[in-house]
Amino acid sequence: MTNKKLISIVLGVMCFALTVAICIQVRSVQNSTTVSQSYEESNLRAEVLRYQERYENILKDIEDLNDEINKQIDEATQENSNLEDAQSQIKEGNMIIGTTDVSGPGVIITLDDSTTDPTTVFNPNDLLLHDLDILSVVNELKNTGAEAISINDQRLVTTSSIQCGGAIININGQRVGAPFEIKAIGLPENLSNLERPGGYLDDLREKYQMQVKLEKSNNITIPRYSGVITFEHAKTVE
Amino acid sequence: MKKKGKITVTITIGIAVLALSTVMFMQFKLVNETDITSIENMREEELRTELANLKEQYDVANEQYEQQKQTLEQYQQQEKSDEETSKLVQDELDNVNLLLGKTNVEGEGVTITLRDKESEDGEFLIITSDILNILVNYLKLAGAEAISINDERIINTSDIATINETLILVNQQRIIGPYVVKAIGDKTYLESTLVARGGYVDTLQRQGYDVSIESSDKVEIPQYNKDITVKYMQQN
Repeated sequence: MTNKKLISIVLGVMCFALTVAICIQVRSVQNSTTVSQSYEESNLRAEVLRYQERYENILKDIEDLNDEINKQIDEATQENSNLEDAQSQIKEGNMIIGTTDVSGPGVIITLDDSTTDPTTVFNPNDLLLHDLDILSVVNELKNTGAEAISINDQRLVTTSSIQCGGAIININGQRVGAPFEIKAIGLPENLSNLERPGGYLDDLREKYQMQVKLEKSNNITIPRYSGVITFEHAKTVE
Repeated sequence: MKKKGKITVTITIGIAVLALSTVMFMQFKLVNETDITSIENMREEELRTELANLKEQYDVANEQYEQQKQTLEQYQQQEKSDEETSKLVQDELDNVNLLLGKTNVEGEGVTITLRDKESEDGEFLIITSDILNILVNYLKLAGAEAISINDERIINTSDIATINETLILVNQQRIIGPYVVKAIGDKTYLESTLVARGGYVDTLQRQGYDVSIESSDKVEIPQYNKDITVKYMQQN
């Protein structure tokens, strides 16, 4: 008799737990993905995918062309030593512009939203990282002499902007989400100055309980910018 | 016999519950790991924006592709003289210098002037380095190709710093108000995104700041006036 009761109770509790779990699950799924997969939407999605592929392909083609052109320049400079200087300027220039993969010593900063329970604070927005936080950290890195910077492997070039788009951030038109991994090449001792007391990282950590980590490294690799930089309006004047 | 049946039922139910729980946990993990940046989870509006962006990026890339193809063909032409090769390399270098910010440039764009101000009720509305930094970011977002603040050219490694919230340094050079921010790009787009309701110039003006914007067919921006050197990074 007691055995039966025990089994009933155990089963009852299990059923209850499962029901609760299912309810939570259904609700969270409703919140995120029950947007109706209309015909139009799936068409759009296919179109986006198609363009993404075309775009990636042409970027690859451009990369190949650039490599080929560089080879031609190399050959040309071998025959004409006057061009050596121009060639090294082009190479160094492309590193700074961000159109080549680069490596060197530097720091890796990892930023993530606060783990504080959102129900315990007045404004839950304070617990999230914003575009301005990223922008400020990037600005401080440049201030301490960063030569190349990437955010979640998106290389920052002179035309890059950092823009908030809800829970995600847009960089170079690419959507990236937390955690943010910011890599910078430069003198690690200078770059790690970002951790100074009262600095921006310190504030993020102490005032807003964000998850902040800064690591020095002797070998950081930053990929090239994955798009194309051309100026349509700005023209050189003598 | 009766007891045996009971045990079977219990075991069956137990297994069913276990299986269900496992599925639930897997499901939870899945929802947790769903990548909000992937296109599978975009809604119609986001998809449209994404598509428009991609199309634009593709067009730019395509143009670049054609251009590079031509350059390559010029290199590959047989029997080219040293002079012709030099010219091709020089063209390449000129383009690199343009993108770096090592040349004086001009083109259509906007000029934004910001001034410190004391409001009627005695409140000081000071232009900070943060304001300039955010403004530069918005200008880049609106497609600015070249930017300067009080003729200090903003290049890829430029910073806008502050000392004690009173001095502002751009490229480690001290600048003082009024702050004149120039940007070259599509002047209509640059101006309209900044002055539209919620645009950054509009926002600053609503907060009482002294900010004005002017678009023009010819904005002149000077070159970065220091050496741009690489010490720590090397090409892979």
